[in-house]
Amino acid sequence: MLEFAAVGHRFRSGAGVTDLSFAVHPGEVVALIGLNGAGKTTLMRLGLGMLRPQAGEVRLFGRPLHRLPSSAFTGVGALVDVPLAYPELTAEENLRLSSRLHGGTPAQVAEALETWRLTALADRRFRRLSSGNRQRVGLAAAMQHDPRMIVLDEPSNALDPASVILLREQLLRRARAGAAVLVSSHHLDEVARIADRVLLMNAGRLIGGLDTAGPDLERAFFARLRADDESRTSEETP
Amino acid sequence: MMGAAVSVESLKLRRSLVGVITTCALLVGTVVVLAGITFGVAQQRSDLVTKLGSAARLDWAGLVPAATQIISVGSLLGFGVMLAWMFGREFGDGTITGLFALPISRGRIALAKLAVYALWTGAVGLILALGVLCLGLAFGYGSPAEGVWAGLVRLWVLMVLTGFIAIPVAWTATVCGSVLAGVGCTVGLVVIAQVTALLGVGGWMPVAAPALWAMSDGSAVTVAQLGLVVVFALVFAVLTAVSWDRLQLRR
Repeated sequence: MLEFAAVGHRFRSGAGVTDLSFAVHPGEVVALIGLNGAGKTTLMRLGLGMLRPQAGEVRLFGRPLHRLPSSAFTGVGALVDVPLAYPELTAEENLRLSSRLHGGTPAQVAEALETWRLTALADRRFRRLSSGNRQRVGLAAAMQHDPRMIVLDEPSNALDPASVILLREQLLRRARAGAAVLVSSHHLDEVARIADRVLLMNAGRLIGGLDTAGPDLERAFFARLRADDESRTSEETP
Repeated sequence: MMGAAVSVESLKLRRSLVGVITTCALLVGTVVVLAGITFGVAQQRSDLVTKLGSAARLDWAGLVPAATQIISVGSLLGFGVMLAWMFGREFGDGTITGLFALPISRGRIALAKLAVYALWTGAVGLILALGVLCLGLAFGYGSPAEGVWAGLVRLWVLMVLTGFIAIPVAWTATVCGSVLAGVGCTVGLVVIAQVTALLGVGGWMPVAAPALWAMSDGSAVTVAQLGLVVVFALVFAVLTAVSWDRLQLRR
Protein backbone atom coordinates (compact mmCIF):
# COMPACT_ATOMS: atom_id res chain seq x y z
CA MET A 1 0.00 0.00 0.00
CA LEU A 2 2.73 2.47 1.06
CA GLU A 3 6.33 1.73 0.11
CA PHE A 4 9.56 3.61 0.74
CA ALA A 5 12.58 2.61 -1.37
CA ALA A 6 15.89 4.12 -0.19
CA VAL A 7 14.19 7.44 0.48
CA GLY A 8 16.23 10.37 1.74
CA HIS A 9 15.69 14.05 2.37
CA ARG A 10 18.14 16.43 4.03
CA PHE A 11 17.27 19.90 5.28
CA ARG A 12 19.69 22.82 5.05
CA SER A 13 20.34 22.48 8.79
CA GLY A 14 21.80 19.02 8.12
CA ALA A 15 18.93 17.20 9.83
CA GLY A 16 16.69 14.90 7.83
CA VAL A 17 16.25 11.24 6.95
CA THR A 18 18.42 8.80 5.00
CA ASP A 19 17.93 5.52 3.19
CA LEU A 20 14.41 4.76 4.42
CA SER A 21 13.11 1.46 3.06
CA PHE A 22 9.98 -0.25 4.33
CA ALA A 23 6.41 -1.00 3.34
CA VAL A 24 3.01 -0.97 5.01
CA HIS A 25 0.65 -3.62 3.66
CA PRO A 26 -3.17 -3.82 3.68
CA GLY A 27 -4.56 -5.01 7.00
CA GLU A 28 -1.36 -4.17 8.84
CA VAL A 29 -0.63 -1.68 11.62
CA VAL A 30 2.97 -0.49 11.52
CA ALA A 31 4.20 1.67 14.37
CA LEU A 32 7.11 4.01 14.18
CA ILE A 33 8.92 4.79 17.38
CA GLY A 34 11.90 6.97 18.16
CA LEU A 35 12.98 9.89 20.28
CA ASN A 36 12.05 13.48 19.46
CA GLY A 37 13.94 14.61 16.36
CA ALA A 38 14.53 11.04 15.13
CA GLY A 39 12.77 11.88 11.83
CA LYS A 40 9.35 10.26 12.32
CA THR A 41 7.37 13.31 11.22
CA THR A 42 9.72 13.86 8.26
CA LEU A 43 9.12 10.26 7.19
CA MET A 44 5.37 10.78 7.38
CA ARG A 45 5.59 14.05 5.45
CA LEU A 46 7.50 12.20 2.72
CA GLY A 47 4.82 9.52 2.66
CA LEU A 48 2.06 12.09 2.18
CA GLY A 49 3.82 14.28 -0.40
CA MET A 50 4.45 17.17 1.98
CA LEU A 51 8.12 16.75 1.14
CA ARG A 52 9.63 15.36 -2.07
CA PRO A 53 12.39 12.79 -1.71
CA GLN A 54 15.88 13.94 -2.72
CA ALA A 55 16.80 10.26 -3.06
CA GLY A 56 14.76 7.11 -3.60
CA GLU A 57 11.06 6.79 -4.26
CA VAL A 58 7.80 6.73 -2.32
CA ARG A 59 5.03 4.57 -3.79
CA LEU A 60 1.39 4.67 -2.75
CA PHE A 61 -1.27 2.25 -4.01
CA GLY A 62 1.44 0.77 -6.25
CA ARG A 63 2.33 3.99 -8.06
CA PRO A 64 5.03 6.62 -7.50
CA LEU A 65 3.54 9.26 -5.23
CA HIS A 66 4.33 12.14 -7.61
CA ARG A 67 2.45 10.37 -10.43
CA LEU A 68 -0.58 9.43 -8.37
CA PRO A 69 -3.76 11.13 -9.66
CA SER A 70 -5.45 13.43 -7.15
CA SER A 71 -8.57 11.24 -7.12
CA ALA A 72 -6.57 8.37 -5.55
CA PHE A 73 -6.20 10.40 -2.37
CA THR A 74 -9.85 9.73 -1.45
CA GLY A 75 -8.32 6.55 -0.04
CA VAL A 76 -5.93 8.36 2.31
CA GLY A 77 -6.60 9.68 5.81
CA ALA A 78 -3.89 11.51 7.71
CA LEU A 79 -3.24 13.55 10.81
CA VAL A 80 0.24 15.04 10.93
CA ASP A 81 1.13 17.95 13.22
CA VAL A 82 -2.20 19.82 13.26
CA PRO A 83 -5.76 18.62 12.54
CA LEU A 84 -7.49 19.90 9.41
CA ALA A 85 -9.82 22.05 11.51
CA TYR A 86 -10.41 25.78 11.65
CA PRO A 87 -10.92 27.60 14.96
CA GLU A 88 -13.87 29.71 13.79
CA LEU A 89 -15.91 26.67 12.73
CA THR A 90 -17.76 24.22 14.98
CA ALA A 91 -16.66 20.62 15.41
CA GLU A 92 -19.43 19.46 13.06
CA GLU A 93 -18.66 22.11 10.44
CA ASN A 94 -15.01 21.09 10.51
CA LEU A 95 -15.93 17.45 9.99
CA ARG A 96 -18.25 18.40 7.12
CA LEU A 97 -15.46 20.49 5.59
CA SER A 98 -12.98 17.66 5.85
CA SER A 99 -15.52 15.18 4.48
CA ARG A 100 -16.16 17.35 1.41
CA LEU A 101 -12.45 17.77 0.73
CA HIS A 102 -11.93 13.99 1.06
CA GLY A 103 -14.87 13.17 -1.20
CA GLY A 104 -16.89 11.72 1.71
CA THR A 105 -20.64 11.76 2.35
CA PRO A 106 -22.73 13.77 4.88
CA ALA A 107 -23.87 10.53 6.53
CA GLN A 108 -20.26 9.77 7.44
CA VAL A 109 -20.07 13.01 9.44
CA ALA A 110 -22.97 12.05 11.71
CA GLU A 111 -21.44 8.61 12.16
CA ALA A 112 -18.03 10.09 12.99
CA LEU A 113 -19.52 12.43 15.60
CA GLU A 114 -21.09 9.45 17.31
CA THR A 115 -18.11 7.13 16.95
CA TRP A 116 -15.67 9.66 18.37
CA ARG A 117 -18.13 10.76 21.11
CA LEU A 118 -18.33 14.28 19.78
CA THR A 119 -22.11 14.60 19.44
CA ALA A 120 -22.43 16.79 22.55
CA LEU A 121 -19.66 19.04 21.24
CA ALA A 122 -20.89 19.18 17.63
CA ASP A 123 -22.00 22.83 17.83
CA ARG A 124 -19.02 24.06 19.81
CA ARG A 125 -16.41 26.07 17.97
CA PHE A 126 -13.12 24.28 17.52
CA ARG A 127 -11.21 27.06 19.30
CA ARG A 128 -13.28 26.45 22.43
CA LEU A 129 -12.54 22.73 22.62
CA SER A 130 -9.97 21.22 24.98
CA SER A 131 -6.80 19.90 23.35
CA GLY A 132 -8.00 16.30 23.81
CA ASN A 133 -11.32 17.05 22.12
CA ARG A 134 -9.52 18.86 19.31
CA GLN A 135 -7.41 15.78 18.78
CA ARG A 136 -10.55 13.63 18.59
CA VAL A 137 -12.01 16.01 15.97
CA GLY A 138 -8.75 15.69 14.04
CA LEU A 139 -8.82 11.89 14.23
CA ALA A 140 -12.47 11.80 13.18
CA ALA A 141 -11.67 14.14 10.26
CA ALA A 142 -8.80 11.89 9.19
CA MET A 143 -10.76 8.64 9.27
CA GLN A 144 -14.46 9.41 8.72
CA HIS A 145 -14.25 8.81 4.96
CA ASP A 146 -13.06 5.25 5.57
CA PRO A 147 -9.56 5.50 4.04
CA ARG A 148 -7.55 2.48 2.87
CA MET A 149 -4.29 4.11 3.99
CA ILE A 150 -4.13 5.79 7.39
CA VAL A 151 -1.14 7.87 8.51
CA LEU A 152 -1.21 9.30 12.03
CA ASP A 153 1.59 11.18 13.76
CA GLU A 154 1.40 10.82 17.55
CA PRO A 155 -2.38 10.26 17.46
CA SER A 156 -2.74 9.65 21.20
CA ASN A 157 -1.36 13.11 22.06
CA ALA A 158 -3.60 14.87 24.60
CA LEU A 159 -6.15 12.03 24.60
CA ASP A 160 -7.65 10.82 27.88
CA PRO A 161 -7.50 7.07 28.64
CA ALA A 162 -11.02 6.46 27.29
CA SER A 163 -10.12 8.16 24.03
CA VAL A 164 -6.87 6.18 23.78
CA ILE A 165 -8.92 2.97 23.98
CA LEU A 166 -11.33 4.37 21.37
CA LEU A 167 -8.42 5.17 19.06
CA ARG A 168 -6.96 1.69 19.53
CA GLU A 169 -10.31 0.05 18.74
CA GLN A 170 -10.75 2.21 15.66
CA LEU A 171 -7.30 1.44 14.28
CA LEU A 172 -7.62 -2.29 14.89
CA ARG A 173 -11.12 -2.39 13.40
CA ARG A 174 -9.99 -0.53 10.29
CA ALA A 175 -6.91 -2.72 9.90
CA ARG A 176 -9.11 -5.83 10.17
CA ALA A 177 -11.25 -4.32 7.40
CA GLY A 178 -8.14 -4.15 5.19
CA ALA A 179 -6.73 -0.67 5.81
CA ALA A 180 -3.00 -0.13 6.06
CA VAL A 181 -2.06 1.91 9.12
CA LEU A 182 1.17 3.78 9.80
CA VAL A 183 1.29 5.39 13.21
CA SER A 184 4.03 7.06 15.22
CA SER A 185 4.08 7.09 18.98
CA HIS A 186 6.14 7.68 22.11
CA HIS A 187 4.03 5.25 24.10
CA LEU A 188 5.70 1.86 23.89
CA ASP A 189 2.95 0.03 25.78
CA GLU A 190 0.30 1.47 23.50
CA VAL A 191 2.29 0.55 20.43
CA ALA A 192 2.74 -2.99 21.71
CA ARG A 193 -1.03 -3.35 21.97
CA ILE A 194 -1.91 -2.35 18.42
CA ALA A 195 1.07 -2.79 16.11
CA ASP A 196 1.77 -5.83 13.97
CA ARG A 197 5.27 -4.46 13.44
CA VAL A 198 7.27 -1.80 15.24
CA LEU A 199 9.96 0.11 13.37
CA LEU A 200 12.68 1.87 15.31
CA MET A 201 13.95 5.20 14.09
CA ASN A 202 17.10 6.93 15.25
CA ALA A 203 19.03 9.92 13.87
CA GLY A 204 17.04 9.97 10.62
CA ARG A 205 17.38 6.26 9.83
CA LEU A 206 15.30 3.14 10.33
CA ILE A 207 17.39 0.84 12.51
CA GLY A 208 15.19 -2.27 12.42
CA GLY A 209 12.23 -3.67 14.29
CA LEU A 210 11.42 -4.06 17.96
CA ASP A 211 9.98 -7.27 19.38
CA THR A 212 6.93 -6.12 21.33
CA ALA A 213 6.49 -9.54 22.95
CA GLY A 214 9.64 -9.04 25.04
CA PRO A 215 9.43 -8.53 28.83
CA ASP A 216 10.84 -5.00 29.13
CA LEU A 217 10.09 -2.88 26.11
CA GLU A 218 11.66 0.31 27.45
CA ARG A 219 14.94 -1.41 28.22
CA ALA A 220 15.02 -3.06 24.80
CA PHE A 221 14.16 0.26 23.11
CA PHE A 222 16.95 2.23 24.77
CA ALA A 223 19.45 -0.62 24.32
CA ARG A 224 18.81 -0.56 20.58
CA LEU A 225 19.18 3.20 20.39
CA ARG A 226 22.41 3.11 22.43
CA ALA A 227 23.84 0.37 20.25
CA ASP A 228 22.99 2.35 17.12
CA ASP A 229 24.53 5.55 18.51
CA GLU A 230 27.72 3.67 19.45
CA SER A 231 27.87 1.99 16.06
CA ARG A 232 27.56 5.35 14.26
CA THR A 233 30.15 6.96 16.52
CA SER A 234 32.65 4.19 15.81
CA GLU A 235 31.98 4.48 12.05
CA GLU A 236 32.51 8.24 12.11
CA THR A 237 35.71 8.00 14.17
CA PRO A 238 38.73 7.50 11.87
CA MET B 1 -14.09 18.59 -6.22
CA MET B 2 -13.56 22.21 -7.26
CA GLY B 3 -17.11 22.96 -6.12
CA ALA B 4 -16.34 21.43 -2.73
CA ALA B 5 -13.20 23.58 -2.38
CA VAL B 6 -15.11 26.75 -3.30
CA SER B 7 -17.87 25.93 -0.82
CA VAL B 8 -15.31 25.19 1.93
CA GLU B 9 -13.42 28.44 1.30
CA SER B 10 -16.67 30.38 1.22
CA LEU B 11 -17.69 28.93 4.62
CA LYS B 12 -14.28 29.81 6.10
CA LEU B 13 -14.55 33.40 4.84
CA ARG B 14 -18.13 33.89 6.04
CA ARG B 15 -17.42 32.54 9.51
CA SER B 16 -14.10 34.23 10.15
CA LEU B 17 -13.64 37.28 12.33
CA VAL B 18 -11.11 38.69 9.84
CA GLY B 19 -13.64 38.34 7.02
CA VAL B 20 -16.42 40.04 8.97
CA ILE B 21 -14.20 42.85 10.31
CA THR B 22 -12.60 43.58 6.92
CA THR B 23 -15.98 43.64 5.19
CA CYS B 24 -17.45 45.95 7.85
CA ALA B 25 -14.37 48.19 7.82
CA LEU B 26 -14.63 48.62 4.05
CA LEU B 27 -18.39 49.16 3.96
CA VAL B 28 -19.13 51.05 7.18
CA GLY B 29 -15.75 52.79 7.26
CA THR B 30 -16.14 54.24 3.77
CA VAL B 31 -19.72 55.38 4.37
CA VAL B 32 -18.83 56.96 7.73
CA VAL B 33 -15.80 58.77 6.27
CA LEU B 34 -17.93 60.03 3.35
CA ALA B 35 -20.63 61.24 5.74
CA GLY B 36 -17.93 62.99 7.80
CA ILE B 37 -16.47 64.66 4.71
CA THR B 38 -19.91 65.81 3.62
CA PHE B 39 -20.53 67.22 7.08
CA GLY B 40 -17.15 69.03 6.97
CA VAL B 41 -17.89 70.53 3.54
CA ALA B 42 -21.34 71.63 4.76
CA GLN B 43 -19.59 73.35 7.68
CA GLN B 44 -17.25 75.08 5.17
CA ARG B 45 -14.08 73.80 6.86
CA SER B 46 -11.44 75.47 4.73
CA ASP B 47 -8.66 72.85 5.26
CA LEU B 48 -10.96 70.04 4.12
CA VAL B 49 -12.37 72.03 1.20
CA THR B 50 -8.82 72.78 -0.03
CA LYS B 51 -7.77 69.12 0.18
CA LEU B 52 -10.89 67.87 -1.61
CA GLY B 53 -10.52 70.37 -4.47
CA SER B 54 -13.24 69.88 -7.06
CA ALA B 55 -14.85 67.18 -4.91
CA ALA B 56 -15.70 69.72 -2.20
CA ARG B 57 -19.33 70.04 -3.28
CA LEU B 58 -22.61 69.10 -1.70
CA ASP B 59 -24.00 67.17 -4.67
CA TRP B 60 -23.42 63.99 -6.64
CA ALA B 61 -20.42 65.58 -8.41
CA GLY B 62 -18.77 65.93 -5.00
CA LEU B 63 -19.85 62.65 -3.43
CA VAL B 64 -18.88 60.17 -6.17
CA PRO B 65 -15.30 61.50 -6.71
CA ALA B 66 -14.74 61.64 -2.95
CA ALA B 67 -15.92 58.02 -2.67
CA THR B 68 -13.59 57.06 -5.53
CA GLN B 69 -10.60 58.65 -3.80
CA ILE B 70 -11.29 56.92 -0.48
CA ILE B 71 -12.03 53.55 -2.06
CA SER B 72 -8.95 53.54 -4.32
CA VAL B 73 -6.60 53.34 -1.33
CA GLY B 74 -8.90 51.87 1.32
CA SER B 75 -10.01 48.92 -0.78
CA LEU B 76 -6.43 48.00 -1.75
CA LEU B 77 -5.53 47.87 1.93
CA GLY B 78 -8.66 45.92 2.86
CA PHE B 79 -8.37 43.45 -0.02
CA GLY B 80 -4.67 42.92 0.66
CA VAL B 81 -5.34 42.15 4.32
CA MET B 82 -8.04 39.69 3.31
CA LEU B 83 -5.77 37.87 0.85
CA ALA B 84 -2.88 37.84 3.33
CA TRP B 85 -5.16 36.18 5.84
CA MET B 86 -6.85 33.73 3.43
CA PHE B 87 -3.53 32.36 2.20
CA GLY B 88 -1.16 33.01 5.11
CA ARG B 89 -3.45 31.64 7.83
CA GLU B 90 -3.08 28.07 6.57
CA PHE B 91 0.60 28.31 7.47
CA GLY B 92 0.09 30.23 10.70
CA ASP B 93 -2.66 27.88 11.94
CA GLY B 94 -0.74 24.83 10.67
CA THR B 95 -3.78 23.63 8.69
CA ILE B 96 -1.66 23.52 5.54
CA THR B 97 -0.60 19.96 6.53
CA GLY B 98 -4.23 18.86 6.24
CA LEU B 99 -4.43 20.25 2.70
CA PHE B 100 -1.97 17.63 1.44
CA ALA B 101 -2.96 14.10 0.37
CA LEU B 102 -6.45 15.23 -0.65
CA PRO B 103 -8.34 14.27 -3.81
CA ILE B 104 -8.15 17.91 -4.86
CA SER B 105 -4.80 19.44 -5.70
CA ARG B 106 -3.49 22.34 -3.66
CA GLY B 107 -3.32 24.43 -6.85
CA ARG B 108 -7.07 24.04 -7.21
CA ILE B 109 -7.58 24.90 -3.55
CA ALA B 110 -5.60 28.11 -4.18
CA LEU B 111 -7.78 28.86 -7.22
CA ALA B 112 -10.88 28.18 -5.11
CA LYS B 113 -9.62 30.71 -2.57
CA LEU B 114 -9.09 33.25 -5.36
CA ALA B 115 -12.56 32.53 -6.80
CA VAL B 116 -14.19 33.13 -3.41
CA TYR B 117 -12.07 36.25 -2.95
CA ALA B 118 -13.11 37.56 -6.39
CA LEU B 119 -16.80 36.97 -5.58
CA TRP B 120 -16.32 38.73 -2.25
CA THR B 121 -14.64 41.78 -3.83
CA GLY B 122 -17.44 41.98 -6.42
CA ALA B 123 -20.09 41.79 -3.71
CA VAL B 124 -18.36 44.34 -1.46
CA GLY B 125 -17.96 46.65 -4.47
CA LEU B 126 -21.63 46.35 -5.35
CA ILE B 127 -22.81 46.97 -1.78
CA LEU B 128 -20.45 49.94 -1.45
CA ALA B 129 -21.65 51.49 -4.71
CA LEU B 130 -25.23 51.05 -3.50
CA GLY B 131 -24.19 52.51 -0.13
CA VAL B 132 -22.86 55.64 -1.87
CA LEU B 133 -26.10 55.86 -3.83
CA CYS B 134 -28.15 55.63 -0.63
CA LEU B 135 -25.92 58.23 1.04
CA GLY B 136 -26.47 60.68 -1.85
CA LEU B 137 -30.21 60.12 -1.73
CA ALA B 138 -30.19 60.57 2.06
CA PHE B 139 -28.28 63.85 1.66
CA GLY B 140 -31.05 65.05 -0.67
CA TYR B 141 -28.94 65.14 -3.86
CA GLY B 142 -31.98 64.03 -5.85
CA SER B 143 -32.35 61.42 -8.52
CA PRO B 144 -28.94 60.59 -10.03
CA ALA B 145 -28.31 61.76 -13.58
CA GLU B 146 -26.81 59.47 -16.22
CA GLY B 147 -23.26 60.63 -15.44
CA VAL B 148 -23.75 59.76 -11.77
CA TRP B 149 -24.87 56.24 -12.62
CA ALA B 150 -21.73 55.88 -14.78
CA GLY B 151 -19.65 57.09 -11.83
CA LEU B 152 -21.25 54.52 -9.53
CA VAL B 153 -20.60 51.74 -12.03
CA ARG B 154 -16.97 52.94 -12.28
CA LEU B 155 -16.83 52.76 -8.49
CA TRP B 156 -17.84 49.09 -8.64
CA VAL B 157 -15.38 48.34 -11.46
CA LEU B 158 -12.67 50.13 -9.46
CA MET B 159 -13.31 47.74 -6.55
CA VAL B 160 -13.16 44.70 -8.84
CA LEU B 161 -9.94 45.87 -10.51
CA THR B 162 -8.42 46.77 -7.14
CA GLY B 163 -9.23 43.20 -6.10
CA PHE B 164 -7.20 42.06 -9.12
CA ILE B 165 -4.13 44.17 -8.35
CA ALA B 166 -3.99 42.86 -4.78
CA ILE B 167 -3.43 39.25 -5.93
CA PRO B 168 0.41 39.43 -5.53
CA VAL B 169 -0.38 39.44 -1.80
CA ALA B 170 -1.68 35.86 -2.11
CA TRP B 171 1.55 34.79 -3.78
CA THR B 172 3.73 36.56 -1.19
CA ALA B 173 1.80 35.07 1.74
CA THR B 174 2.23 31.62 0.14
CA VAL B 175 5.93 31.87 -0.66
CA CYS B 176 6.74 33.33 2.76
CA GLY B 177 4.16 31.17 4.56
CA SER B 178 3.06 34.15 6.61
CA VAL B 179 0.09 36.48 7.05
CA LEU B 180 2.38 39.33 8.03
CA ALA B 181 4.43 38.98 4.84
CA GLY B 182 1.18 39.37 2.91
CA VAL B 183 0.30 42.48 4.90
CA GLY B 184 3.79 43.84 4.16
CA CYS B 185 3.20 43.20 0.46
CA THR B 186 -0.10 45.09 0.70
CA VAL B 187 1.65 48.14 2.13
CA GLY B 188 4.24 47.82 -0.65
CA LEU B 189 1.52 47.78 -3.31
CA VAL B 190 -0.10 50.91 -1.86
CA VAL B 191 3.27 52.71 -1.85
CA ILE B 192 4.05 51.63 -5.44
CA ALA B 193 0.61 52.77 -6.59
CA GLN B 194 1.01 56.20 -4.98
CA VAL B 195 4.59 56.78 -6.16
CA THR B 196 3.97 55.70 -9.76
CA ALA B 197 0.83 57.85 -9.92
CA LEU B 198 2.88 60.83 -8.71
CA LEU B 199 5.62 60.10 -11.26
CA GLY B 200 3.04 60.06 -14.05
CA VAL B 201 3.62 56.46 -15.19
CA GLY B 202 0.48 55.18 -13.49
CA GLY B 203 -1.42 54.16 -16.60
CA TRP B 204 1.14 51.51 -17.52
CA MET B 205 1.61 50.44 -13.92
CA PRO B 206 -1.17 47.91 -13.22
CA VAL B 207 -1.11 48.67 -9.50
CA ALA B 208 -1.93 52.35 -10.11
CA ALA B 209 -4.08 52.13 -13.25
CA PRO B 210 -7.52 51.31 -11.72
CA ALA B 211 -7.50 54.32 -9.37
CA LEU B 212 -6.24 56.68 -12.11
CA TRP B 213 -8.92 55.35 -14.45
CA ALA B 214 -11.74 55.82 -11.93
CA MET B 215 -10.58 59.23 -10.69
CA SER B 216 -10.23 60.60 -14.23
CA ASP B 217 -13.74 59.41 -15.16
CA GLY B 218 -12.09 56.89 -17.45
CA SER B 219 -10.08 59.40 -19.50
CA ALA B 220 -6.52 58.97 -18.16
CA VAL B 221 -6.15 55.22 -18.74
CA THR B 222 -6.56 53.34 -22.03
CA VAL B 223 -8.31 50.01 -22.53
CA ALA B 224 -4.91 48.39 -23.23
CA GLN B 225 -3.62 49.68 -19.91
CA LEU B 226 -6.68 48.28 -18.13
CA GLY B 227 -6.12 45.01 -20.00
CA LEU B 228 -2.65 44.94 -18.49
CA VAL B 229 -4.29 44.95 -15.04
CA VAL B 230 -6.12 41.73 -15.94
CA VAL B 231 -2.91 40.15 -17.30
CA PHE B 232 -1.06 41.21 -14.12
CA ALA B 233 -3.75 39.56 -11.99
CA LEU B 234 -3.75 36.36 -14.07
CA VAL B 235 0.05 36.07 -13.87
CA PHE B 236 0.02 36.30 -10.08
CA ALA B 237 -3.01 33.99 -9.81
CA VAL B 238 -1.14 31.34 -11.83
CA LEU B 239 2.05 31.93 -9.81
CA THR B 240 0.05 31.44 -6.61
CA ALA B 241 -1.60 28.23 -7.84
CA VAL B 242 1.73 26.83 -9.04
CA SER B 243 3.38 27.72 -5.71
CA TRP B 244 0.61 25.85 -3.88
CA ASP B 245 0.98 22.86 -6.16
CA ARG B 246 4.76 22.70 -5.69
CA LEU B 247 4.65 23.43 -1.98
CA GLN B 248 6.90 21.49 0.37
CA LEU B 249 6.79 21.69 4.16
CA ARG B 250 10.42 22.08 5.14
CA ARG B 251 9.79 22.66 8.86
